[in-house]
Amino acid sequence: MYLPFSFYSKMASPAIALAFVPLLLTLIIRYRYYFVLFYRAVLVRIWKDCVTGLSREERAFQYVLTNSTPGDPDSILDAFDYWCSKVEFISNIGPKKGKILDRLLMEQNPLTVLELGAHCGYSTVRIARALPLGARLYSIEMDQGNAAIAEKIIRLAGFDDDTVELIVNPSDEVIPRLRSDYNLDKLDFVFMDHWKKCYLPDLQLLEEYGLLGKGSMIVADNVLFPGAPKFLRYLRKCGLYEWKIHRATLEYSRGIRDGMAELIYQGIK
Amino acid sequence: MPGDTLITSENDTDIDLDFAGDGDFQENHEREKHKGKRRNGDGQKNKRENQRRKRSSKSVQGIREESQSKTERGERGRRRRGKDEHETSGHEGNEGKRDPTRAKTTKSKKNIKNEKTRKLEGKEDREGQEKGEKGKLKLVCAKNEEKIESGDQLKEKEKALGMKKKKKSKKVVETSSEPETSGEGDDEEEEVNNDGEVRPELLSPEELEKLKEAVEEKKKLIQSLRGKPWPMRQKLVTLRESQLFVEKYEGALGKGKGRKLYAYKVMMTKKWMKFQRDFENFKTACIPWEMKIKEIESHFGSSVASYFIFLRWMYGINMILFGLTFGLVMVPEALMGRPYGSIPRKTVPRAEEAGAMDFAVLWDFGGYAQYSVLFYGYYNNQRAIGWFKFRMPLSYFLVGVGTVAYSYMVVIRTMARNANESGIGDDNSFNFSWKMFTSWDYLIGNPETADNKFASITTSFKEAILEEQESRKDDNIHLTRFLRVLANFLVLCCLAGSGYLIYFVVRRSQKFALDGLENHTWWERNEVNMVMSLLGMFCPMLFDVISTLENYHPRVALQWQLGRIFALFLGNLYTFIIALMDAINLKRKEEKVVKFNITMWEASLYNGTGSENSTAPPITIHPADVPRGPCWETMVGQEFVRLIISDTMTTYITLLIGDFLRAVLVRFLNHCWCWDLEAGFPSYSEFDVSGNVLGLIFNQGMIWMGAFYAPCLPALNLLRLHVSMYLQCWAVMCCNVPQERVFKASGSNNFYMAMLLVILFLSTLPAIYTIVTIPPSFDCGPFSGKNRMFDVIQETLESDFPAWFSKVFSYASNPGLVLPFILLMVLAIYYLQSTSKSYKEANVELKKKLQTQNEENKKKNKQAALKAQTDLEEARKSASQAAEHQRDTDASGQRREDDEEIYNKNQRMYHGRNPSPSVGDREPHFPVRGPGPRNCHNGNQGNSRYLPGFHQQSEPRVYRVPSLERH
Repeated sequence: MYLPFSFYSKMASPAIALAFVPLLLTLIIRYRYYFVLFYRAVLVRIWKDCVTGLSREERAFQYVLTNSTPGDPDSILDAFDYWCSKVEFISNIGPKKGKILDRLLMEQNPLTVLELGAHCGYSTVRIARALPLGARLYSIEMDQGNAAIAEKIIRLAGFDDDTVELIVNPSDEVIPRLRSDYNLDKLDFVFMDHWKKCYLPDLQLLEEYGLLGKGSMIVADNVLFPGAPKFLRYLRKCGLYEWKIHRATLEYSRGIRDGMAELIYQGIK
Repeated sequence: MPGDTLITSENDTDIDLDFAGDGDFQENHEREKHKGKRRNGDGQKNKRENQRRKRSSKSVQGIREESQSKTERGERGRRRRGKDEHETSGHEGNEGKRDPTRAKTTKSKKNIKNEKTRKLEGKEDREGQEKGEKGKLKLVCAKNEEKIESGDQLKEKEKALGMKKKKKSKKVVETSSEPETSGEGDDEEEEVNNDGEVRPELLSPEELEKLKEAVEEKKKLIQSLRGKPWPMRQKLVTLRESQLFVEKYEGALGKGKGRKLYAYKVMMTKKWMKFQRDFENFKTACIPWEMKIKEIESHFGSSVASYFIFLRWMYGINMILFGLTFGLVMVPEALMGRPYGSIPRKTVPRAEEAGAMDFAVLWDFGGYAQYSVLFYGYYNNQRAIGWFKFRMPLSYFLVGVGTVAYSYMVVIRTMARNANESGIGDDNSFNFSWKMFTSWDYLIGNPETADNKFASITTSFKEAILEEQESRKDDNIHLTRFLRVLANFLVLCCLAGSGYLIYFVVRRSQKFALDGLENHTWWERNEVNMVMSLLGMFCPMLFDVISTLENYHPRVALQWQLGRIFALFLGNLYTFIIALMDAINLKRKEEKVVKFNITMWEASLYNGTGSENSTAPPITIHPADVPRGPCWETMVGQEFVRLIISDTMTTYITLLIGDFLRAVLVRFLNHCWCWDLEAGFPSYSEFDVSGNVLGLIFNQGMIWMGAFYAPCLPALNLLRLHVSMYLQCWAVMCCNVPQERVFKASGSNNFYMAMLLVILFLSTLPAIYTIVTIPPSFDCGPFSGKNRMFDVIQETLESDFPAWFSKVFSYASNPGLVLPFILLMVLAIYYLQSTSKSYKEANVELKKKLQTQNEENKKKNKQAALKAQTDLEEARKSASQAAEHQRDTDASGQRREDDEEIYNKNQRMYHGRNPSPSVGDREPHFPVRGPGPRNCHNGNQGNSRYLPGFHQQSEPRVYRVPSLERH
């Protein structure tokens, strides 16, 4: 804080600078979780990318492969959770919000499930684990590399092609073809965890192609942070859904508030 | 709305004239007016009227017409309902006299209708009247008919509670009357109606009597209408009809002159009512910023509005302070005192003359601003100025004292009034009931705020329940205690740090002042104010963050927060004052030196001239060249003015950057940002009520402190409050969002007032200290040359009042008299306080009694209700049993089962919440199957014994809640 005399005699005095210390402290304390998140999600990632030469997802996969029991989804999820909370940060759905998801799946008992954004396969495994017998999960992932890892993880957890089908394509291309290519008539459950900006267009696509029937449930993660304001605004306005937001914190972080939107399609009244 | 009332009032007069003069023309005239009004309203109805006209010209299809007019009436009623509801709910009394014009049009449909046909037919009009005048017999009987009809209507109305029923019956009545009259001819009937209004003399006394009765009945109906359990629509219709009736026939009851007088009286009362209403409206419109505040209230709830009401109140007080200082000090000095440049204290010294008009200097209130009526130093110590000998120094002193005295009076009076208001409602018993029934803020008119309020009520319930749970378990109390101590420690550190920083800055600024301010930058010169404002702005934020550690209930947390901010502001202010005292002492030392120098200078001046010619007139020196003292009073005034200015600037700049700029960024960058700015990190700011109120209070404290040395301060403050009223109103509406926790402002008002009082006391302390202990400067200000400032009173007493008065005064100010007086006052205060305490205790006692009585009553009622219910059930059961008995006498086993089933059903009905009946309860109930009444009774007993038990289960809850809520 003590600058050389020649400097502060020209500029503002040091006392005025000192008066800003409370502000600085306030900001640091208030937004400490965001700083921590920034450090873990961005700085550590860049550093590790440079050091190991692998992508983040590959590192996660390596860890999971070495630290879990193949064929046991629970242990795979636990390994993921550990890695994401202690080592690095990947925005999976996380254990807390995952519990809500599990509960919703148990209540709904869906037979056809669509997942938008598989990422490393954490949520895919989570959903597949909770599905009833004979149900089928279609998981859409845009990124090739991530999809490869997700595929490996899913197979590692012991789910075969009949249960989980991974589609590697952008969601806005896949959704229009779902009915024709995959013989889907109605989706019972949709889980959205891909780009937050795609929530709204994809929802509208689903509506447009008639894939939602009365009672279909849509669950969208991260609607508050990073947030999908347009999506929420649309929900408020359109009146097609009965919806609520499950408030929770961001995955693997305590202080950042986040929410998961639960929508039940009611159709046009 | 005003226009509308205007129209109706005109019509009122019309109707009154109608009673007095010839009705026919008036009727037409009035109807035309109504038509004009309606034409504005909707064309659709005009069409209908045309249709109706056609039909009525045929004049036979009475029934169909009637039904149509009914629908129309309904429509009109609907159209007006919004307004009517509003009006009738407010002042039915007024309405009773204002409304009838409309009512008339709706009710006397027949009249109007017929008249319309008449209008078309032109001449028949007059003929009809002639006929009417001729055929008196006919008229009388027709009148009878009319009266009967109206009486019928009345009865029908009172009988019929359901709307449909009433309508139907009325229709029947009217249709039954219609064919008869129409058999005689249209003209006949309508003349009857007209003449019924115009010529009441024609009635026989019995009929008059009857009419009177009917009118009385109607009046009664109007009065009791509000309490009737009818739908609003029906109430309105009834009201209108009965008002019309009263209006129509009340005037007719008088005779000759009396009637005219009566009409005149009614007209005048109506006009008076209307004037009163208008005056009320005008008064509301005259309250400054009322609409603005109401709008804010509807968007943000009453807590934010309370800030603005407080601001307005403050504005009013400052207005009076400003009036005092401006009218009694500044204006007289400017008009009647010596002009600028006449004496040294009223002239800019030669050294400063060059830059005295620079903006930078003026902005710092130096140069010409310093040597003007704005500051203490400009005033002359001349005893009386102007042609009516205005006692300037006395006035200056008294205004200084008067402003403070007035402020004390106002604050204390307001506090007392608030205490009266809040004394009753603010109790902690029945907390859940209060929450349940009174937590909604009915002034909210914005959906978003309503959502927030809803959420906050929900959370308050949750919190109350959580509190209850937490008070039981008390886990990890040590950690909480440690955290609270830690938080307080941190806050204390912060306070000490800010205090030290201000002290440091002030000391530095003294050093700068010794060096000469010109050698330093603007930053350094304004360091003190800047640092104080910045600390005042940022430290509360830090406190807020720290207070999350403590985990208090939000209400408690808010109080802590307020206390801390208060301490911070107070510390800063007092550090500032202490530094100012140092500066005053420095100036006084300087003054001594200057005084000595001046005597030397004068001596040398006179010596130099005196050697030549001792009798020559003293040389005239330009006042700007005369050396002068530093005048510490002006310095103090300047400091305060600068502080106020910098504080104001900081507030406004914070508002613009922190609220407006942030809102703009959030609003327009949200489209192209990677997270949701509105819901997430920066979001919009909330209006910080407590911070703003504290800022306002401290600002006022500074005004009180500095106003004696800078008479311009109230004016400046007035300006500041005015601007901040508009600016903050705008900023709140444009860039703030309603608080997440909307809480009601009730109760907190007096808290602010108490703080204001404390600040007032603390701010008058230093001012009084300086006035009493420090002698005024020798060459500036109204008290120069005196030993103390308050000597001016003594001087006035000696020279302006008769000798006996000063004697009396000197006796009165004798400690021997003053001390007993003070003692007496203390005793009186003690007495009043103890009585108020005993009253409060009595109140509490009574409240407790009331509560227990309520409980008792509730229990009794519940028991009675349950008994009745069980009796009913028994009766039913026995009836069904009897039926069953008759049906089959054989299958007793099956019947037993059936009965048991019934019983179970019953029990489920009784104990909806407690479906598992205890065995002991079940046992005595079995004999119920037996037909004996004694057994039945037994069963009841069992039940009633059981149910109060259930009731008792919930009762301790009711008792416990307040005790938990209390802390």
